[in-house]
Parts: sequence; C-alpha cells; structure tokens
Amino acid sequence: MFNKLIIFVILNLVCFGSLYSQSCTTVIKGVVIDLHTNKPLESVSIFNIETEKSSFTDSLGQFEFRDFCTGNYHFLIRHLACESKELYLALTKDTSIIFTLEHSINLLGTVYVDGRAIEKTIKNVQTVKQSTIQDYSNESLSNILEQLPGVNTIKNGSGISKPIVNGLYGNRLLILNNGVPQSGQQWGSDHSPEIDPLVANTIKVVKGAGALEYMGANLGNVILIEPAKIRADPHLHGRTTFSYGSNGRASSLNLQLEQGGTFAWKINGTLKKSGDRSSPSYFLRNTGSDEANLALQVERNFNNKLFTEIYLSTFNTTLGVLRGSHVGNLTDLTEALSRQVPFFTEDSYSKTIDAPKQRVNHHLAKFRIKYFRSKSDWFDFTVAGQKNVRKEFDIRRGLRSEIPALSLYQYSFLSELKYQIEFEPQLTLKTGFQTNFTDNSNDSETGILPLIPDYRSVELGQYAILSKKYKSQTWELGIRNSYFVQNVATITRTIPKTIERFDNKFYNLNATAGWSYDYQNKLVTTLSTGYIKRNPAINELYSLGLHQGVSGIEEGTVDLNPEKSWKNTMAVKAIISKNITIESFAYYQRIADYIFLAPQNELQLTIRGAFPLFKYDQTDGRMYGVDAQTIVDIKERLSVKLAYSYLHGRDLSNNVPLIGMPSNNTSTSFDYIISKDFKWLGVRFDNLDVGVNHRYVFRQSNLLPFQDFTLPPPSYQLSSLKASTNLTYKTQKIRLLFRIENLFNVRFRDYLNRQRYFSDDLGRNIVMVFQSKF
Amino acid sequence: MKKISKFTYLLIISSLLVITSCSKDDPKIPNEEELITTLKMTLTPVSGGNTVTLSFKDLDGDGGNSPVVTGGTLLRNSSYNGKLELLNESETPIDDITKEILAEADEHQFFFQSTVSGLSVTYSDNDKNNKPLGLATLVKTVGAGSGKLTVTLRHKPSKNAQGVATGDITNAGGETDIAVTFDIVVQ
Repeated sequence: MFNKLIIFVILNLVCFGSLYSQSCTTVIKGVVIDLHTNKPLESVSIFNIETEKSSFTDSLGQFEFRDFCTGNYHFLIRHLACESKELYLALTKDTSIIFTLEHSINLLGTVYVDGRAIEKTIKNVQTVKQSTIQDYSNESLSNILEQLPGVNTIKNGSGISKPIVNGLYGNRLLILNNGVPQSGQQWGSDHSPEIDPLVANTIKVVKGAGALEYMGANLGNVILIEPAKIRADPHLHGRTTFSYGSNGRASSLNLQLEQGGTFAWKINGTLKKSGDRSSPSYFLRNTGSDEANLALQVERNFNNKLFTEIYLSTFNTTLGVLRGSHVGNLTDLTEALSRQVPFFTEDSYSKTIDAPKQRVNHHLAKFRIKYFRSKSDWFDFTVAGQKNVRKEFDIRRGLRSEIPALSLYQYSFLSELKYQIEFEPQLTLKTGFQTNFTDNSNDSETGILPLIPDYRSVELGQYAILSKKYKSQTWELGIRNSYFVQNVATITRTIPKTIERFDNKFYNLNATAGWSYDYQNKLVTTLSTGYIKRNPAINELYSLGLHQGVSGIEEGTVDLNPEKSWKNTMAVKAIISKNITIESFAYYQRIADYIFLAPQNELQLTIRGAFPLFKYDQTDGRMYGVDAQTIVDIKERLSVKLAYSYLHGRDLSNNVPLIGMPSNNTSTSFDYIISKDFKWLGVRFDNLDVGVNHRYVFRQSNLLPFQDFTLPPPSYQLSSLKASTNLTYKTQKIRLLFRIENLFNVRFRDYLNRQRYFSDDLGRNIVMVFQSKF
Repeated sequence: MKKISKFTYLLIISSLLVITSCSKDDPKIPNEEELITTLKMTLTPVSGGNTVTLSFKDLDGDGGNSPVVTGGTLLRNSSYNGKLELLNESETPIDDITKEILAEADEHQFFFQSTVSGLSVTYSDNDKNNKPLGLATLVKTVGAGSGKLTVTLRHKPSKNAQGVATGDITNAGGETDIAVTFDIVVQ
C-alpha cells in the first residue's frame, strides 16, 4: 500500500514518501526533475553521508539505493550549475522521492513562500544563491547584489553602499528583510541598508510591475532578503564561515546553528572588522568598518496546518568615511577635485575609525502565523516592529566630534494579514491588508538644526491579485489601494525659531496586468504593464540644511505632487539547446512628476563660503533599458556566462539626461570544473573549480558637463580570479575559496561612487574564505 | 471564517486608532552652540583715527536668508591693528565663539587673501606651539585701490606644512569653518 505523504524538506525540496516496513533491505528510489522545465535531470549525484554510498541519475532522472537499514540519513544532492541541496530522511520503509532542483540562475524564476507554497504569479525574479552569499561573506548586501545584471550600487567610499535596480533606488526601491519593509533612513544616498546578508539564504530582486503585494512606496522593483525555513532535520547542524580580505585586512566570522523538528530554531551571528582600505597606490584613510549582528529564528509547527515563526535580529555597525572627502565649501571641493592624492592621506595602515563616521543600529522583531485551511487556501498574519538609530559624526570644533551631527531615531510597526486561495482550475487569488506606522525623531543633542524633520506617518494598504493559468499561458491582474498620512513638525529658520506643522494625506492607486506564455518549456515570454503612484517622501518635501553626503545645501519643496509611473516590461527566456540559455529583460518606464534633487544655478553664501544649492524638483522622466544574459555549458565542465546591462534615462521636460543613472556594463565569466569528484588521503573532493571574470564598465556618457561638479570618470575594466573546492572528511564538510579581485590593481573611479571626486576606488584584494559545516 | 472577519475588523479599528493618535510631539529645538552667525573684523589705525569694522552676519545660519556683508574703506600708507571677533547671535545671550577658537588655538588658523594691491596682513598672535593663529593681525596698506579681502578659518590645518606659518593657505588642508569675503577700498 502506497500512502502519499508530503514531508517538508528544506526549501526547494518536496518529496513524496511511500511506506513499507523492512529493515536493512530497504530501497530508496527517486527521480530528480528541473523545477522550471519539469524535465528529468541527468548526472545528478546523490550522496549518502552516513554510508558514503553514492548514486547518479540516469537519462530519465532516476536513481536507486538498495539494502539500506532503517534509520536516519542525510543525503547530499549535487548537480552542475545547481546549488547543492541536503535532504534529511527518517527511513522506516521503502521510499520513493521526487526532488525538484533549481537548475541554473534565472531572470525568470519562481518565488517560494515556504516549503509548501509555491507562488503562481508572474514576476521577474533574479536570485543570488546561498552559496554565492557565503562565498562573498566579506562583502556587504549591495556588493553581493551587484553581481546580478541590472543591479548596481551607489557608494560613498568602500563601506557605504546601497543597491540601485534598473535606475531606481532609495525611496523608489523597496527592501524587504524577511518579509518586513526595511525602515530607517533609506532616502539617503549615503545610507546603506542595515541588513546582514549572511542571515539570508537567498536574496532576490523582483523587477517589473508584479510587486504589488509588498507594502511601501516603490516604483516597481523590490529586493527580498529571505532566510529559509529551518530544515526538518531534527539534529543540530551548524556552519562557520571565516573570510579574510587583504585590502583593509578585513576579516569576517559568521556562525550559524540550527535544529529542526516541531520546535525548530536557528541562530546566526556575524562579526566583521576592517581597517583602512587601499586604492592601488595609497591608503584610503578612515575607511575602516565594524559590524556585529545577531539573528534568532524560532519556528513551531502545529499539525502541519498552523505554522508560527518568531524572528529577532540586531544589526550594529560603525562605518568610517574617507577623511579627505570631508570638505567645506565649493572652493575646497574644487581644490579636492584637482588633487592626485586626497588630503589627509597617510603612509601607514590604521584600524581606527574617527570622524567623519556613521554609527547605525537596527533592530527587528517579527511574529508570523501561517494557517493552512487546506492545501490551496491559507492565511498569513505578520506583526513586526523595528527600531533604527542613526548617528553621523562630522569633524567639529571644541571636542564636538564625539557628538553626532545627525542623530535620528525611527520606530516602525507593521501589521499584515494576507489570504491566498487557489480556486479550481488554476485560478489563484491573493489578497491582503497592511498597516505601517512610522515615528521619526531627531535628538537635539546634535546642536545642529536637523536636515529632515520629526514626523509620524501611517500607511494603510490593501491589494488583490488574481491569476489564471491555462495550458501554457498565465494571466494576471492586480490592484492596490494605499492611503498615506504624514504628520510633520518642522523647525523654521526664522528668528526666533518656531515649530511649523504639516498634515499630508495621499491616496495612491496602483494597478498591474501581466501575461506569460511558455512555449514547450523552450521559450518563456512574460509581458507586464503597470501604473504605480508614489507620494513624495519626507526628505523630498522638507529637508533643509547642509548635507555632508552631497556636499551641498539641500532644500525640500513642500508642494511636490506624487510621482505617477507607467512601467512596461518584457522578459524572454530561451532555452536554445540543452546547453545554451538566453535570458533578457527589457523595460520602459515613464515617470510623470519624477522627483529629483536638482542642482540650482545659484550658490548659497554661508559663513563657511559658497555652497552649491540643491532643491527637490519634478520633471517628466523616462527610463528604458535591457539586461541580457547568456549561459553556455560546455560538456558539463565549462560554463560561460555573458551579461550586458544598458540603461538610458532622460528628463523630458528639460530635455537633458537624468542624473545619477548607472553606467552601462558588461560581464564575462568562465567557470571550469577541473574535477567533479575524487578521493585523496581519505578526503573526498568535489567540484574543484576555477573561474575568471571580466567586467567592463562604460563611461556614463549620457550626462552634460553642467550637471555635475566634474565630468563622469572614464570607462574601466576589472578582472577577478577564483578557485574553490569542497572537501568531505567523514561527516565534516569544508569549503575553501580563494579569490583575487581587481587582479591587475587597476586605478579606477566609478560614476556612482561619491568618493570619485576625491580618491581612486579600491585596489587589489586577495580574499580567502573557509567554511566548515556539520 | 467568522473568526477571521472579526479579526480583520479588529485590525482595521486598531489601525484607525493609530491614525487618530498620529500627531507628532513638538520637537525640541537644538541649542546651536557651535554656530557662528557673525564675524567682525575691527581695524584700528595704529597712529590714531577712525576705526573701520568689516562684518558678515547670517543670523539664520546655512540656507534661508542671505547673509549681510559690510566692507570698508581704509586709508593708504597706513597700518591697522586687526582684531577678529566671532559670535553666535542667534542665541540669547549672544555667544562669543572667539573664546572657543582661542582655547583651541593650536587647532585653528586664520588666513587672509587680498586682491587689493599692496595690502598685507601679518600675524600678531601665536598658539602654544608658537605658530600663528590670526585673531590679532597687523594690516598695512600702500597705494590707493580696491578689491577683496577673504578671511578663512581652517580647523585642524597642517600648521607645519610649507608656507602655512607665513599665511600661505595652499598647503594648509583642514576644514573650512569660515570663509568670508569683504569689499575693500583704499583711498
């Protein structure tokens, strides 16, 4: 008798077990299929850790193990270009298993909510795999994301960076940390997102208009940072990752422990420390950073119907800012621009972080309940609280350098109820109601009038998304209403100073439609269109004062209109043959009343001299671009990847280019597997591979000379080299990785790095990563 | 399902409550003790005569209203004792920032650049390391003419760098705390 039983396994793995009672003659049979094409995968290695037995799938994707004793087993499932997966199996009877493996990286993917629920909606998703996150454990979230086509980073030196997706960032790009919209001072181009990437199992970028279900003002693109569900394995498992980077003598240590079962828990801690980084020819003084993070995840499952989760995390960092970039007025800036080596450059390395610096703490507490009424019908309820503390220190007179020049506290509270039901046949409705409350205060300890005012804001949102799948086509319609209230208390610059209040109410209606056609799993085309409204953010309306981050006086405009965006996307994934995949994503976005910080023609005279004046202004903007990628696998050993990103932004009202748009770039990489599997001195090696990458960044030529203090930096090319392998000794698994970034120690400056005015970018960096799992 | 609907209502009601209690408390206005609103340079003729006062006043700080700048007229072939005074006039009582500069004399230095032909400014004071500060100066004129005099205060300059001790700003570095320019006529 075959009883089909769904066992929850780690993310991406669903297995169906059939039950028989025997001992030491137990048979495990299985088939491995590609998640996206539903076709069997050949040459997948299935390795049992306890018995060291292994099996490979045949052309039908099938494998078999015989003569197993009943008991608990751990399996390792590996395939070229797939992320290797682990499976825990409590073997009591003859069992047959179906694995779905996510084969290769995708522009078009599927989002997993958890082990059971696979979303059936249209989204353009790119994923950074867990193994990549681990291999780049020395990097920040934004730098890891930069590997995806169409994703760039806006930097303020080496330590401070934030992602930009298809030209959208800050207020226009939503970052969801474990399902919760990241609060904090996301508006600042010199404010990095306060998220530890090592907590995440996957990082996803959702492009296009399909991101309606997420709360928060955004113009279509969302970054999802997702820790996986804790695996079902009832044993204690852990992972230690240590990395060292020669540039900045940066080390990072990450420890993760987890134990599954009905009461499952996971704990993840990270420590990072770096001193002064260096450009190819000099140290970048005061560019060190410190970081200490901790996250705790607890899950309890009641009868496989009710799932509860508590997630607590704390992120704490101190980031140094290049000493020579702290300039006074326009005269000083002009002088700094003309220098070969920045002011205050020292001959020796230093670990100390002095002013100017940022100290940021971010805490998150989240509680979630998911209740399955049936397999195709569930409720999902989340409440979450966040506290964000940001203190920025400038060089000040009279021992005031230890008093922050900017000191902001932000509390936010989210509650969310979602409901999803799959009607027959393949008709899915997703709906939800969300509230988000934010309280932002300045601490008057600064002795400086605040750049952005104190405020409270509330957002109420509701959405409904209907999708229908019929044969190889999927249609989708979505609508979102949101109501936004801002209560702001500004301090006037009159004498004497008074409090001026503003009450704003905005109603935003967003709507999207999508269509997807899958031709024999060979050609998948997805079209989407959407109308999205975003109300002006607090900083765009009310900021006032000197912003060191842009070295100018920034003035908000109180009567800005909401931005109205119309976005169209087209994604095509073509599987030319078994070995060649082409993926491309094209977009065209019109933004009416596009809000941007416009440089004014006047200079503002202060006692410190003249400063450029920037004012928030609106225009009609247009952005279009394409991200394309080709992957060629040759004989299952060599993988070649070519990627290209193009973006064009235009201010249609003034007929000039849009400022702050990323440069076009190409990336080429070769990965070669020297040996898939060999044994040496009792140690099993698998996937001993080497790789090279070359990245070419074009000069941002779509800019007029008067739009910046200086011309955009010239094009540059960077190369990197890496080698890695996995070792298994008994039950001990170790991963070793060696990588050289900026191999030829090239001097370069990047248009999206504000420090380009002052210094060269990072020189060569030799990175070693050591990871041990048990 | 009924339970859930009740729950939804509860959620809506609680969020409405949140909205009604949405008003933000009055922020505490920071005490801008570091702010310099006013720079006064008093030029007293060494051999007697009318005192000339150059002043720069920006009571509302950075941004907002433009500062009020008052230049001055000096006599040719004369020497003046220059005295700088820095104030924060946005506070009551008025805060004298000059004292703060004096207390940190080794971390500060004024620089004087002039486009008036023959006009020279030399230091008459020193910090504890015997390096010039510039709160007290000697200003000399030669022939008649007109032009600009720029007064710059640098915080943490390299006082040992070449030329800095004689008032050349080129290699000084540091942050600019003050940079004001006055119209000067010498007649």
